[in-house]
Amino acid sequence: MRRVPSFLLLGVAALVCLYPFAWMFLSSFKTNKEIYQPTLFFPSDYEWDSYAGLWSGEYLPFLDYFLHSIFVSGGQALLATFVTAAAGFAFSKMSFRGSGWLFGIAILIILVPKQALAVPLFEWMAWLGWQGNLWSLALPGVASGLGVIFFSQVFRKVPDELVDLAKVEGLSPVRTFVALLPLIAPALMTFCFLHFILSWQEHLLPLLMLDDENLTLPIALAKLRDSSHRIPEAVGMAAATLSLIPVVFLFGLCFRKMKTALVELSLS
Amino acid sequence: MGGKTGFSLLCLLGPFFALWALFWLVPLGMGVDLSLQSPDFRPVHREAVLPEDSAPSSSLTFLDWRNPQEEVEVVAPRYVGLENFERAIADSKFHKALSNTLIYVFGSIFVILPLAFALAVNLHALARIPRGVLVFLLMIPGLALPGVLSTLFYLFFHGRTGALNQYLVIPLGFDPVNWMMDPAFIMPSLIIQAVWRWTGLVTLFFLCGLEAIPRWQFEVARIEGVGPWMRMRSILFPGVRHLAVFAAVFLVVDGFAAFSGAYNLLGGSGGILDSGLLLVTYVYQVAFPGGSGRFDFPGAAAMSLLVAPVTAFLLFLLLQARKTFFPR
Repeated sequence: MRRVPSFLLLGVAALVCLYPFAWMFLSSFKTNKEIYQPTLFFPSDYEWDSYAGLWSGEYLPFLDYFLHSIFVSGGQALLATFVTAAAGFAFSKMSFRGSGWLFGIAILIILVPKQALAVPLFEWMAWLGWQGNLWSLALPGVASGLGVIFFSQVFRKVPDELVDLAKVEGLSPVRTFVALLPLIAPALMTFCFLHFILSWQEHLLPLLMLDDENLTLPIALAKLRDSSHRIPEAVGMAAATLSLIPVVFLFGLCFRKMKTALVELSLS
Repeated sequence: MGGKTGFSLLCLLGPFFALWALFWLVPLGMGVDLSLQSPDFRPVHREAVLPEDSAPSSSLTFLDWRNPQEEVEVVAPRYVGLENFERAIADSKFHKALSNTLIYVFGSIFVILPLAFALAVNLHALARIPRGVLVFLLMIPGLALPGVLSTLFYLFFHGRTGALNQYLVIPLGFDPVNWMMDPAFIMPSLIIQAVWRWTGLVTLFFLCGLEAIPRWQFEVARIEGVGPWMRMRSILFPGVRHLAVFAAVFLVVDGFAAFSGAYNLLGGSGGILDSGLLLVTYVYQVAFPGGSGRFDFPGAAAMSLLVAPVTAFLLFLLLQARKTFFPR
């Protein structure tokens, strides 16, 4: 009996998190009139029209936008993971003059996020002539201050003996770093996944940087809603469902490793 | 430090600092430079970008945003000192955006952290498999695009017949709330959206912190007959303190950068009476006014730079709070 409130709390929380998304998926089959009745859960019949419309690019080249998002987020997340892991390794496992000072200026980046620098970043990209290019979106997020902090914490947990052993064996620090990577695989996956989500959800920079033929998913979804009077709401719902699938899939893959990494990290 | 170590350092730190300089320091410098210029000088059009080096200082080529072909002679000083900052500080809409953002950040942190802690403690009591399944479910809103969350809010939760009114407000005996139109409810509605989005992730953090607590601590507490409050204070809180600080930093940084949710929910405006105007939205409005007005990049840059000290101060307070409440 004592556990009833506990189950109630968890049950309500799970319901609040799951039900709207189930409603969203089922709404991709509904007519506008049905969607405007939020308490209606099941559609009257199941037609895959809105998915077919997205696939064939009837409303906008959805498939292209989808691939752009995968490219930008995947590229940015992978690059960010290895670049910040290397920096974190250097900061926590190598001693050199000015390391504290360098660490300080590296994490200054947290104070002025790239969203706050959107306007000058936009001008700078225009000057470089990279406007509209997907790299102009993928590269600015790679240098992550949180990543440097995260990985220097992670490498602090790796025993110094391993690094000394590598030194005795005659491995250079770079080789040592590469050899240690499998040891911190859970942390690498965790960071890669979190960075992927943040980049996947980025809205402001693509809004500024990209041309119309080079958009990413968040903008595409906003566009679908923008002209919602012409495009059926069900299409927006179908696009929203599709945008969720890769992230949920990745999360499923990383879930166990993520928990391992976080448990280890909290033991400091 | 031998040459070989130096080379290794270059390989390890080089990529980070190259990207750091190219995509953070340069834009930051440009932002500072931009914030000191007159907004009448050199408005850059999205398609028409002026060559940087050909701008003489006394008589300037001025590109009008409405018809980029037309060249207008303008005699205006290029640098105006701190005028843009003064303009931003005196701007009542900027104050509104700043205070809204602070309410948004603190409101969401003060709801999310306790809620996530309560959820994590209750999850911790469950068996492994239901625990994993439930955490996974709680994470789903955090995985979705903020735009999707806004759409769901717009269509599902809000409105007179929306779920919030039907399942919560009316059963409790209140009048249905007009969530998007009533200025008193726009900010709570944005905060609810943030809570819905991030509570799952923070719960996952806390749960991992709790799982890392060694079993013997709970055993000792049980044998000693320690009460629930003592158990909470001496075992559970210390278990999650590092992750709590990390989560709070993450939420502060994310809250200040919040754009997408409010942009989608309110269609790029600040909502009725600007009650949902957030900083990034306002900076975006100033830089790219839709339809009317002039691109005011310098004003926008000055506002962006004014935010950095606020964030720095908040993060400093957070770290101080950690030292006060959780001394080692």
